Amino acid sequence: MATLDIQLPQMALLYGLCLLPVLLLWLIGLRLSRDIGISILRMTIQLALVGIYLKTLFELNHPWLNGLWILVMLIVADLSILRRAGLKARYFALATFTAIASSILFSTAYLVILVIQPTHYYDARYIVPLAGMILGNCLQGNVIALERFYSAVRKNENEYATFLMLGATRWEAVRPYFKEAIKAAINPTIAGMATMGLVSLPGMMTGQILGGSEPGLAVKYQIAIMICIFTSTTIASIINLKLSLAIAFNAYDVLRDDVIKKP
Amino acid sequence: MVRQAHQERNQQVTIMPPIIQFDHVSVSAHEKTILSDISFTLSSGEKAVLCGKSGSGKSSVLKTLLGLLPIKRGTVYFQQIPLTPASVQTIRSCAAYIGQEPMLGADNVRDALLLPFQFKAHRGHQPSEAQLIEVLQRLKLPADILKQQSSHISGGEKQRIALARGLLLGKTLYLLDEVTSALDAESKQAVFEVFSDPALTVLSVAHDPEWLERCSIIFELEAGRLIEVKRHGNT
Repeated sequence: MATLDIQLPQMALLYGLCLLPVLLLWLIGLRLSRDIGISILRMTIQLALVGIYLKTLFELNHPWLNGLWILVMLIVADLSILRRAGLKARYFALATFTAIASSILFSTAYLVILVIQPTHYYDARYIVPLAGMILGNCLQGNVIALERFYSAVRKNENEYATFLMLGATRWEAVRPYFKEAIKAAINPTIAGMATMGLVSLPGMMTGQILGGSEPGLAVKYQIAIMICIFTSTTIASIINLKLSLAIAFNAYDVLRDDVIKKP
Repeated sequence: MVRQAHQERNQQVTIMPPIIQFDHVSVSAHEKTILSDISFTLSSGEKAVLCGKSGSGKSSVLKTLLGLLPIKRGTVYFQQIPLTPASVQTIRSCAAYIGQEPMLGADNVRDALLLPFQFKAHRGHQPSEAQLIEVLQRLKLPADILKQQSSHISGGEKQRIALARGLLLGKTLYLLDEVTSALDAESKQAVFEVFSDPALTVLSVAHDPEWLERCSIIFELEAGRLIEVKRHGNT
């Protein structure tokens, strides 16, 4: 059963739906028409380009091209994590890249090669959307981990120095902030798993059902993706924070202020 | 007999090489000079105090010694070894830094006192209950303070708990930043008694005349420079 196509006139009708919220916002005095217009335009162009790119990717289905696409996603995610966490990419780009690349490749490979077992392990239909979804969630987790950790060390500068003076190694002195940061990074995923299916129908499952899959199959894929997101977020945040410790502190275990972006 | 021992100890103090030496030390942070060309020595067992207006660099001397501020020029020696990333652990393990509002780093007082014994460096040397109570008594703190929440402890009590923690760790060098200001007369006396021990070396920051009176060396700082050194007392 194929999904019904949306024809151009119907697409136009769809955009027309936006007029209702725009009108309501205008009536309550919120002048957001410009921002809304730009956002809708950007969404349309970006997704159209991705659509063309993915179509080509699926048609060619070449292992190197698929690999290149994942590499590009990893680099964009790397820079985006550091920008949002307020850390300078010049210092941390390699550490963050190592962390997300290793965890994403591991969990995607585990899922595709051992669990799904397609004819070709590099099949774009599987690895591109799965790696993309895992990476998107992993990105959030890493931003939270880095941001929380370095704000905590700066906020608790005196406490951290006290731990050092009491004989703690750098690792022993940062451990309380490290644990808190990792907890904050993985909590949304744990909470998400606990309410899955009750609060809302998860995106991937909805997509698969619309795509014609049996709900049972869609459920299995949803469980698979959640477990992979949880695994890779945990691994990536731990590796990322651990690697950053060697960069962000000087030889006297003092946090360097030149590695953090000025707000 | 006692007198002879005391004299011997005093002689040891005078011939002993300096435990701390600042040799033309300059420190700057954020392109601002904090300390400029500071030189002084301190021998084991001496009690010294740094004086000067706020912003004159008193606390920075203590922080530099602990490797918390980057040294631009000159060298800091601790036990005659230059302060480097490799040797900083030595001074940190010998020194206790106690500020105006020390961080206890745990939810209650008992955990705060036992905190350093969780670290690899002190694991296995955990003090007994009797030792905890003994050290609290020396500082005029009641034994039931062990159960109190850290958030309910006053500044002066925190200082004495931090001091007790230093004593439990067997620290010999005490870097005290405005410690007596929050203490009442009785607690201050208890602190003075603890530091009358000739085995303990003190480098402090203070304004309190009573404290200055008890220190054998007074370093006067002004705008990051050491302008005067006064020595008196029995050393």
